[in-house]
Amino acid sequence: MSEVMDTPARITAPKLDAGAWSLRAYLPALIPIVGAFALTLWRIWAGGENFIDDGALMMLALAGYLVGAAFLLTNLYAPSGMAQKIGLWGAGLGYFFNLSSWLIRWVAAHDRELAILQKNGYGPDQMPWVWRYIPFANLYDLSLAFAMGAGLTTMLISGRRSFRFIGALSLPIAALILILARFIGGEFINLPPVLDSYWRPIHVGTASIAYGVALVCFAAAVLYLLKVGTKPESMAIWSSIFSIAVIATIGGQIGRIVLTGNYAASTVFEGSRMSLPFRVIIPYVGPALVAAALLMAGVIFLYARYVFKGDAAARAWGHRLLVGALVAQGLAIVLMAAQIKGGEFGPCPGGSSFTNKCYESAQYEGFGAWMAGEQGMSPDQVKAIPASRLRGTTEEFLSQRGSSLRLSLNANPVEFSAVVTAFAATFFALLFSFRTDKLRAALPSADKLDGLMYRTASVAFAGLAILLITGAIWANESWGRYWGWDSKETGAFVAWLTYGGFLHSRIARGMTGKPSAYFAIVAFLLVIFTYLGVSYLLPGLHSYA
Amino acid sequence: MSALEETKAEIRVEAAPAKSERAGASVITRVLNLLSSVRFGVTMLMLLVALSMIGMLVMQKQVDKFDLYFAGLTPATRLLFGTLGWFDIYNVWYFNLLLLVLSLNIVLASIDRFPGAFAYVRKPKANAGRTWLKTQEVHDSFNLAADSRDGAVRRIEEAYKAVGLKHSRVTERPGGAAVVFAQRNTWNRLGAYAVHVALLTIFLGGFLTNMFEHNGQMPLAPGDSAAQISETVFNLDDRGLQLGRSSLPLPFEVTCTDIQQKLIRLDGPITADNTIDWLTHIKIKDETGEHTAVVHMNNPHDYRGYRFFQASFINVGRARQINLRASPESGAQPVEVAIPRDGSATLPDGTRIELLSFQPDFTMQGGQITTASGEYNNPAAQLLVRTPDGKQERAFAFAQELPTGAPVGRAVGGYKFRLASFEKVADAHVLSVQKDPGATVFYVGSALLCLTLSMVFFFSHQRFWTLVEPRDGAGFEVTMGASVNRNQVALEDRFKRLKSAITGEPIEVES
Repeated sequence: MSEVMDTPARITAPKLDAGAWSLRAYLPALIPIVGAFALTLWRIWAGGENFIDDGALMMLALAGYLVGAAFLLTNLYAPSGMAQKIGLWGAGLGYFFNLSSWLIRWVAAHDRELAILQKNGYGPDQMPWVWRYIPFANLYDLSLAFAMGAGLTTMLISGRRSFRFIGALSLPIAALILILARFIGGEFINLPPVLDSYWRPIHVGTASIAYGVALVCFAAAVLYLLKVGTKPESMAIWSSIFSIAVIATIGGQIGRIVLTGNYAASTVFEGSRMSLPFRVIIPYVGPALVAAALLMAGVIFLYARYVFKGDAAARAWGHRLLVGALVAQGLAIVLMAAQIKGGEFGPCPGGSSFTNKCYESAQYEGFGAWMAGEQGMSPDQVKAIPASRLRGTTEEFLSQRGSSLRLSLNANPVEFSAVVTAFAATFFALLFSFRTDKLRAALPSADKLDGLMYRTASVAFAGLAILLITGAIWANESWGRYWGWDSKETGAFVAWLTYGGFLHSRIARGMTGKPSAYFAIVAFLLVIFTYLGVSYLLPGLHSYA
Repeated sequence: MSALEETKAEIRVEAAPAKSERAGASVITRVLNLLSSVRFGVTMLMLLVALSMIGMLVMQKQVDKFDLYFAGLTPATRLLFGTLGWFDIYNVWYFNLLLLVLSLNIVLASIDRFPGAFAYVRKPKANAGRTWLKTQEVHDSFNLAADSRDGAVRRIEEAYKAVGLKHSRVTERPGGAAVVFAQRNTWNRLGAYAVHVALLTIFLGGFLTNMFEHNGQMPLAPGDSAAQISETVFNLDDRGLQLGRSSLPLPFEVTCTDIQQKLIRLDGPITADNTIDWLTHIKIKDETGEHTAVVHMNNPHDYRGYRFFQASFINVGRARQINLRASPESGAQPVEVAIPRDGSATLPDGTRIELLSFQPDFTMQGGQITTASGEYNNPAAQLLVRTPDGKQERAFAFAQELPTGAPVGRAVGGYKFRLASFEKVADAHVLSVQKDPGATVFYVGSALLCLTLSMVFFFSHQRFWTLVEPRDGAGFEVTMGASVNRNQVALEDRFKRLKSAITGEPIEVES
């Protein structure tokens, strides 16, 4: 700058301009919040009978996030102001519907229990406080809030023009969380008394924000790795390993799909949500998943040759196989969704089948043992029961109650969500290999991405610390101990330690750059494990969420 | 602090000691170097993550249904996991050793690095040359018109004030140049050390809890008294998990005066999913006198360092109070009276009725009155009826209509009795009683951690230098530089505002 400036009469900082900048930048985040509260007030005023319910709003939120993500992704490959604007408004709408869904669920939960209590003769002075109904009671509520935390963080960060790309990756993940919520199902439950504490909104509210910020940090870390030259083929190897792991572990038994070639889904009793370890084969899904697994095994082999030996032909073939794997996974999902919803089923002709919706007789013994355990028998007592009697018990059960068994997408939400997530991982691995250099150029500098990763990880670290502390205080009020190594609290602790590792890796020799980003990725995977895996796979006091 | 030292401190990435340096160092020095290294600390953190994950994936012996899990393992797995201590990993010696080493690492690494961080507070770098300023994260240069060097400096100082940098310092440089320096939130450099102090305080709280905590159960039905708690002891051997009990005497006696259960659906079961709250009314007696208290869910009661919590309940239906309809044999109007658990009531004619027992699912076994289940399938109250003339006899009141001529439904003392309604309650509540000298230390550490994390991550140490150098012609050449330890975006914002305040140019708006 060579121009000589004139001295102004009085120096003032341009606060007004800066303030206007801030407000304008954060309007996309503020408008949905104001709108959602207005809609909630309208719901309170109008009553619930003819008003849109929280489930429908959740589906609209899902649509909003997907539209936002699609346009923001388009904007990365073919920069356009219009695509970016539509992407941001799509994201804003998604966030508006997401928050509205959560707030209206709060009102609906209150209305529901109020009606029950009034019917049971409780007077106005005996009504529980309104915080009792805050939608933080189960995994569905937490999933809504998790996606909401991610949506809010994305909108706030998108206030900066240079960070508007982040929604291209964070919004699809938020959408996956909502898909999981759809599979879990949003039925209201009576609140377990231990949850009726003012610590619940503080503790779970912190969790939803911390998890949401962690999600955005993960997105920043993946894009950072891409920016600093990590090959999309390396990412495809990891996404394929993840997808194969999913295929190998679903279906009720490790390796079942690969070994038998068919996929069987859990059942539920009509009108119940409890998933039974009695599975029904869903035709053609198993072969599609096996094909996907084989194709991805090929992808791993071929891309490994390219990454380690620079074999260009292997890369080209690996890409073709990855496309095939994506198609096979997509087909499996469509077949699963289309066939699980309804239809009759009975025993498989010949014991098993690829083409019929039916149940295998091989599971009778195991299911009989499970029923004996449910009736309070000890493991030794169950072991002592002859196999023929266990099979007979199951046959008797099927003849008496078999007609009440149903297939449902809600029967095994983690399994279905894992399949959808594996599909999404393959999709992004494929997408990143498309015009990678153009994508890298469209992303901000590695320093900026690193800065975003650091800021979000710092907030996630602080948020998880507050989550652990508020959880500990609540546990000390409810269970008489502030720390008990319960699987959920250990999960959150482990994720927090990993973010601690991330923050320290930035000042430790040999750990800066890519290793630091790996910490951020692993930390988010641990957050997901805490959020989902602990609830569904491990026993503990947090099994409700 | 020289510019070189400043740069080193800014990067803060620990350097590997040279080979010759390593060879010459004593073993103690090398061990101390290792223990104070951040890289070693990160490795310890990841080891802690791995062990904690094992504790999550391998069911711990205190967890409900451990016996089922243990029975499902192969003998080889049991042997391996048992030998490694994985069924109780959080109490195994190497886990505690790891926590100790990690604590030591935090202390030593903090001692190692604190002087460098404190230098920012004690001796801020107020002087800077043009070359160094241009190496800063944010920098810019421009020409400024002013009557004199001092006028230019005054203008810059005013601009500093306008953007919230209140205390600026001017350092003279050769050739009539000057540097205007200001900083914000210098204490932020020490935040990480405060976080470490908070973490160590939490660890100390955990240690005290582990060593000195007592946590036992106290089942209480109305009328029961207890002066001790029983702690569960988990012993794992070849046969599986063996549960034992150990008693701990209390310095006071607790008497239950009443228990109550607030249900959502009054006609529903007394299970947790139909319950709003459980309340236990207790009386505590010691040398200081009698004290009453109510313990309910999420609302513990503290007394002399002991905390009383609602832990669980005995899921057998009882009645806290019954409403009894007494129909005179004479055909007069029935009378309704309320009788509390273990209480009595008097009818208008002086007949006194005591509630002896309540069975939710009435049945007779070997001539004894008992309950077939814990659920309210056939609720009945056993009564003792004392007539005004002093005769007494047992009677029953059922909720359901009895067949005509049923022996249990016969009239006693001139009345036939019917259970009109009753308030449902569990057989007994189980209170958890805790004495934990580590909890307060843990709370202090937690509060400190929240505070210090906010200090560290929501503020940053921003530093601004503006070098004013006379130009050969008219005016002055200004070189601005700024650095921050975190949140560069906020630094860039303030830098833009500062430059705008100095030059009078509008801010370049990003969005």
